[in-house]
Amino acid sequence: MEYKGWDEFEIGAMLRSFDGAIDDIAGTAQADRKYSENNSYKASVADWRVLKPVFNKDYCIDCQFCWIFCPDVSIIARDKKMIGIDMDHCKGCGICVEVCPTNPKSLLMFLDHADSEAELAAWPEKDEEE
Amino acid sequence: MAFDKMELRDIEVWDGNHAAAQALRQCQVDVICAYPITPSTPIVEGYAQFKADNYIEGEYVLVESEHAAMSGCIGASAAGGRVATATSSQGLALMVETLYQAAGMRLPIILNIVNRALAAPLNVNGDHSDMYLCRDSGWIQFDAFSPQEAYDLNMIAFRVSEDHDVRIPSIINQDGFLTSHTAQGVHTITDDVVYNFVGTFKPMNDMLDFEHPVTHGVQTEEDWHFEHKARQHNDMMTVVPDKIENAFSDFEKLTGRKYNKVECYDMDGADIAIVCMGTSVETVREVVSEMRKDGLKVGVVGLRVVRPFPFAEIGDTLKDIKAVAALDRSAPGGAAGMLFNEISGSLFNTDSKMLLSGFIYGLGGRDLTKANIRDLYKELQANVDAGKVLTKQQQFIGVRGPKLAYL
Amino acid sequence: MSEIKKIKNLKDFSTSADRFEGANVLCPGCAHSIIVREILNATNDDLVLSASTGCLEVCTAVYPYTSWDASWIHIGFENCSTSIAGAESMYNALKTKGRLKQPDRNPKFIAFGGDGASYDIGLQWISGCMERNHNMMYVVLDNEVYANTGGQRSSSTPLGGSNTTTPAGTISYGEKQNKKDLMGIMAAHNIPYAAQVSPNKWKDLVKKVQKGFATEGAVFINAVSACTTEWKFEPKDTMLLSDLSTDSLVFPLYEVIDGRELNITYRPKNVVPVEEYLAAQGRFKHLFRDEYKHLIKEWQTRVDENWDYLNRREAARV
Repeated sequence: MEYKGWDEFEIGAMLRSFDGAIDDIAGTAQADRKYSENNSYKASVADWRVLKPVFNKDYCIDCQFCWIFCPDVSIIARDKKMIGIDMDHCKGCGICVEVCPTNPKSLLMFLDHADSEAELAAWPEKDEEE
Repeated sequence: MAFDKMELRDIEVWDGNHAAAQALRQCQVDVICAYPITPSTPIVEGYAQFKADNYIEGEYVLVESEHAAMSGCIGASAAGGRVATATSSQGLALMVETLYQAAGMRLPIILNIVNRALAAPLNVNGDHSDMYLCRDSGWIQFDAFSPQEAYDLNMIAFRVSEDHDVRIPSIINQDGFLTSHTAQGVHTITDDVVYNFVGTFKPMNDMLDFEHPVTHGVQTEEDWHFEHKARQHNDMMTVVPDKIENAFSDFEKLTGRKYNKVECYDMDGADIAIVCMGTSVETVREVVSEMRKDGLKVGVVGLRVVRPFPFAEIGDTLKDIKAVAALDRSAPGGAAGMLFNEISGSLFNTDSKMLLSGFIYGLGGRDLTKANIRDLYKELQANVDAGKVLTKQQQFIGVRGPKLAYL
Repeated sequence: MSEIKKIKNLKDFSTSADRFEGANVLCPGCAHSIIVREILNATNDDLVLSASTGCLEVCTAVYPYTSWDASWIHIGFENCSTSIAGAESMYNALKTKGRLKQPDRNPKFIAFGGDGASYDIGLQWISGCMERNHNMMYVVLDNEVYANTGGQRSSSTPLGGSNTTTPAGTISYGEKQNKKDLMGIMAAHNIPYAAQVSPNKWKDLVKKVQKGFATEGAVFINAVSACTTEWKFEPKDTMLLSDLSTDSLVFPLYEVIDGRELNITYRPKNVVPVEEYLAAQGRFKHLFRDEYKHLIKEWQTRVDENWDYLNRREAARV
């Protein structure tokens, strides 16, 4: 966000989460909210990542372990389905991969600059030893 | 259960603590978080009795420390309502961290400080050490010289602090025991008239507005902190003074009682003057009126508004005065007294030829006697006659042992 | 009283619309935000939140950004309990006076403090709030260290941990004190509800938090928060460490009702030796030197004794 002069912001160093009024926050999906420019939802920590998770929906059973244990609100769940990863907010911790119970895993970590399509094409087979 | 209004006589005999408690009751404070400490305890107790007798509709939270008192006040104020408390001395010292937070977060809390010395050594009596402790905390500070003023200034403080252009908390100081425990006649205002004067609290950035969630108490580092503190100071310097004037003027229309940032008594044609705060103003006034009868051109200036410091008004008041004594009732800790410094600042770089001398007095509740004051005026007159300050610039008065003078 | 949100399973839970946002600056793999998400998502009611100075606070409200979609306040290190108690008092006052802007809501008042803010510097403030029985929930994000400032010991730091102010060295095994029993202290306030939780056992956590939300009065929640940075494990292993902490019984999950009735809420099928819990963390690495191995035994004994104590308390129903 742009730096502002001392006379250009509201008093008390307070911040608003949303632009305008929001009636039912808990009932409004993130995608449908009018976040203010001060909401960290509008920011990105993508440059923190060394590794990134890649999601392979072919194996996903929508157990939502990745959703609940993601510290960065980066697993996008819609109607009880896992539909993807919010790559602006994912810091690449790898918890989602660790908690993924499928075999092979539906999420794997790769270098952040890896080509996801290529990684999906080369997804490992089921591990028979498990 | 609806709360009860209280019928008051036109003039009640109240001490400063009771006057403050009554004012808080009449302003219908929404939340008070408080912790008792001498000599402000009777404010906390008095309010508790009002609550017990159904004169209070708001919440009264008896917390476990002064720090918690102001912490609770900050949470309550940020939630969006009228908030106040009271403390003294060590309690204020414990509270100091949160005073800065309240001011920085622009929360219009009202704090009654019943002034008392700071330990060590421990002392429960009145001096202005606690007032001085928080003078840079970013709070507006009023000073009451009497129970009447403690009563009136509470209402004025709510008016000023809660103004959406201000949103800066206020302290009302009164002298421990000499004001807080000394009953005097107080002209009362009826409950309805007081509440009408302060008005129903108008929330701003309130946490309890669930449709507009707000984050209070953020972290700012070197990239943002300076701008926020600059804004705070700017509003104190440019917005607050006029708002105080307006509140004083509205209060005068309501009651006929006129307050000024700098209170002048017998200053017309005065050659020499004492500047002081608290009950000392009243003591000096008495001496001055006696000395005036003897034809001496003496006057006294009482500081009503300590912060924002009324530089211009002090400068105007004192520019033609030949010699002035600044009385500081706080151990200066290795510097000139606060009043000495601020008065110097008000007149430095002007054409004033005023001779200024500073006096440290009354620590830990030591009396300032009329004899002390007469001596002091004599000294000022001697300075005028000599055309220079004949003594050191800082002297201690009223203390036993060899004379103490510095600077 | 508001309705309790129905969360039968994780799929149900995943329909929650988070009120805590990403792009906060907590470490990758931080358990704090997992706990916070589980707690906030346990209700659909409005929230009024506070945080004490600490990791959660400094990482979620760095001007000009906030990660909070509900009203939130931070004052200082020691007083998030009292600040939320103040807000709750204002709510009650405005309710009485008929001045609430949205009078039909059922807001939940929650304070979050780290173990430094709770076990140490803020203990008195929390005690006051619990004693006065404010209608609020106090949550400790217990990572057993002053993590925000770089790993200094707190009174939650367990014996033998190497921390920056109690480092292991040539003549020291690190922290010399056992962890303070804050649950015991809080339960001794005879508050309506106190519980210990861990984010890996999300269902247990949500159930307890919902119980807390349904409680009139003060609720205390102690949540173990595995700290990748100071416990010294890889960020991806946060849930593994959470599992180890609950399944080794180092961090048993239980609740205390009205300061009396103690219920153990999770009994691991396979109890993991404490040694495995310790071995998974760099902060205990030195304990595996020959001269300190007796401490690992001591650890196991202490954990066993505590588990035994909790079981006896539960059985005694007193």
